[in-house]
Amino acid sequence: MTATIARQMIAAEILKLRRNRALMGFTLLLTVGIVVVVFGYLAIQHASDVARHGPAGGTDNFDHAVRALGVFFGMLAAILVGTEAGTADLSSGVFRDLVATGRSRLSLFFVRAPAAILVTLAFSAVAYAVALIATFAFAGSMPTPSAGLILQSAGWIALCNSILAALAVGVGSLTGSRGVTLTALIGWQAVATNLLLSITSLGGARDGLLTAALTQVIPLSGGGRGDVTMATGIAVAVLAVWAIVPLAIGAWRTQTQDA
Amino acid sequence: MTTTSENIIETRGLTKRFGQRVAVAGVDVSVPRGCAFGFLGHNGAGKTTLIRLLLGLTQADAGTMQIAGRPIPQERAQVLARVGAIVEEPHFHGHLTGRENLRVIAAARDPQAVSRIDGALQRVGLSDRAGDRVRTYSQGMRQRLGVARCLLAEPELLILDEPMNGLDPGGILEFRKMIAELVGEGRTVFLSSHLLDEVEKTCDAAAVIDRGRVIAQGSIGELVRSEHAELEIGCDRPELALDLLDSHDGVAAAQRIDDGIRVTLSSNDGAASINARLVQGGVAVFRLTPVRESLEQRFLEITSQIGDPQ
Repeated sequence: MTATIARQMIAAEILKLRRNRALMGFTLLLTVGIVVVVFGYLAIQHASDVARHGPAGGTDNFDHAVRALGVFFGMLAAILVGTEAGTADLSSGVFRDLVATGRSRLSLFFVRAPAAILVTLAFSAVAYAVALIATFAFAGSMPTPSAGLILQSAGWIALCNSILAALAVGVGSLTGSRGVTLTALIGWQAVATNLLLSITSLGGARDGLLTAALTQVIPLSGGGRGDVTMATGIAVAVLAVWAIVPLAIGAWRTQTQDA
Repeated sequence: MTTTSENIIETRGLTKRFGQRVAVAGVDVSVPRGCAFGFLGHNGAGKTTLIRLLLGLTQADAGTMQIAGRPIPQERAQVLARVGAIVEEPHFHGHLTGRENLRVIAAARDPQAVSRIDGALQRVGLSDRAGDRVRTYSQGMRQRLGVARCLLAEPELLILDEPMNGLDPGGILEFRKMIAELVGEGRTVFLSSHLLDEVEKTCDAAAVIDRGRVIAQGSIGELVRSEHAELEIGCDRPELALDLLDSHDGVAAAQRIDDGIRVTLSSNDGAASINARLVQGGVAVFRLTPVRESLEQRFLEITSQIGDPQ
């Protein structure tokens, strides 16, 4: 596959995603919408009772926004977009027509992940920009994040969203079903992972959880999640496994299934 | 049989099993270039499975396939770059417009495919609706958009699976014309169908598949030709005509019909001498028509029926 073909196939994948109004609407809500609502709410609280509620901006609230965009609402948005990218061709029946063009199945699979990541990051970038504006605009007397922290936080959000989008593409391509993929991934990331992280008797076994590894490399003060700590090298290895294995399984399924 | 590039599709001993069920059993098909070729069979006879094998959508258990003289699946990518196909019904992303759906497929083809989109839409008469979402399209429009999608490949071979399904009579007529035009441009159209009348009107040649086996193939003329030619003779004195032909060498059998007699010939060149015998015997012959068996009659004769033992 030439670079031109790869570029036009990724553009076609992005077209499919961005023309899906429901998907775009929910993704906007889970990223930009959440940031606007939270900072807006905090600003109104502060304005209504300055003595009781601190300013809506500043480093503390920036910290919350970054975590929300990385492993909470941003994660849901990435799963939503990645699932759509992974399942759209299969569920619509167009996968068969794409295979009939003679283009290799691996090519058809591997353009899904960059498209999903690019679309997710476009929303995250806007949401992060809004969060940054609010952080400084509503900071009042509170300290504000440094340029280094801003850049590192942006990188961390991009890392979180990219891994989650790729994971959803892989699982979506494996199951071929939007419903199954969304239920499994949101159930795992939002419910099961938090449950497992709180079970201290699991000890080091929790290091293998994606959220534990992601929060281990977060650039914010306070670092990882609760009592789950691991070496950065282990966290990087865990993240690599979560990024690569689902994609490999999705690629295998795309390669071997009847179209 | 020797493989020649005169045939655009050749399969030999092609076999596909789904568990214990044999969907395609040792199929040999030869499709000549530059014609409309019908692939006939009851529902479930193996038509779509053979198409899916040709397109590499599923893997064969045995046998060989060639398209345009190149082996499939070994040279699948190069071969399918010049093949357009609709398998079963054409599927699209309903939330995209017709033009956008073509862009999605064009992106997976060669870099020039995108520049063929407008021409393809015009060709199938969808230019005016190309900006509408496909979920608002009728079945006939989807079929036409499917053909437009095939044309993006500038195909030498079009494989259309049941293309007339769901079309109204006007749509069928348009589709038939379009196929004739495509063949006129030197392309080959391979279409599967169970609409026998349509295949007879549209195709130059056909193969009949029954329970996974090809049981007949050839030109439409060859397929419908009876073992013994028959004539319907309109005449004023049918009883006398039967008496006169009773001892005629060229007549194998004769029987009375409404306005004359029906004669089964023992040789294909007996019509002139039969006419002469009748006229000389004082019978006024006002009609002499060769009886042509329809493809439908022939198909029903040679294929098994549902419930028949194999």
